[in-house]
Amino acid sequence: MSRTESVAFDNPRRERRADTFAMWVFIGSEAMLFGAIFLVFLVAHLDFGPAFAAASKHLSVALGAFNTAVLITSSFTMAVAHMFALHRRWRATVWALLATSALGVCFLVVKSMEYGKEIAEGMAPLLGLPFRYEGPDPVHAEFFFSLYFTMTSLHALHLIGGIAVIGGMIALWRTASPANRLHRVEAVGLYWHFVDVVWMFMFPVLYLINR
Amino acid sequence: MSELRKLTFGYVGLLALLALTVGSSFLDLGGFNVTINLAIAAGKAILIAMLFMHLTGTLPRLAVAAAGLWLVILFGLTLIGS
Repeated sequence: MSRTESVAFDNPRRERRADTFAMWVFIGSEAMLFGAIFLVFLVAHLDFGPAFAAASKHLSVALGAFNTAVLITSSFTMAVAHMFALHRRWRATVWALLATSALGVCFLVVKSMEYGKEIAEGMAPLLGLPFRYEGPDPVHAEFFFSLYFTMTSLHALHLIGGIAVIGGMIALWRTASPANRLHRVEAVGLYWHFVDVVWMFMFPVLYLINR
Repeated sequence: MSELRKLTFGYVGLLALLALTVGSSFLDLGGFNVTINLAIAAGKAILIAMLFMHLTGTLPRLAVAAAGLWLVILFGLTLIGS
């Protein structure tokens, strides 16, 4: 068996550098996607500040903060998985990956509880659901909630993708070579941390601004 | 294992910053609330990038700098016009 996964590289060191660089370029392109949505939110916030501030008070800071802590913990377990993979402690790596995806699922469960509460209170202007917001400037509050659901659901989709990739990685674990395992843990780790970073901005912007 | 200690340090630091950002939002600091929240978010992002994502080496930094440049252009030109 050759020392590299792809025939395109002379040695494993180059292959690893190319892998890492490609992941960072991908993360850069993801940053463009989320950056554009944050910009829309910022411009809307500048125009309709009071309405947005009033609407953001209806979100649950406790659940949002709890979920932020869950995601931070999942990033930590992912970093630990990478550390174990570097030391070729494969069993510990798999356990850390399982913990990471379990925390990801926990985040999604809490998020769906939040969605349920917001839908029950009539604050979800989506899928033709009734919007019954009782506060100042309901038109722009509706815009806030549209942006809230767009941003958080796009983030949740990224998280679901990450959980699916970790699941697939563990399913194929036995057939993967050690180098292969390390590459995969590294790549999915970078992606997972990026999704965490996006939430680090989303949480204050949506939940805390102008309380 | 000193590496585990480094990761734990990052983890505790991130939780402390989370407590700080939530705590600061209950104080009325006028326009500074937004600034503080965004500065803490940037601090968290830097901690994650350096300690968890091992952002070192020329090529990864080049990718991040390129993404940052385009975001500055995107935000800058939009906000100039508004």
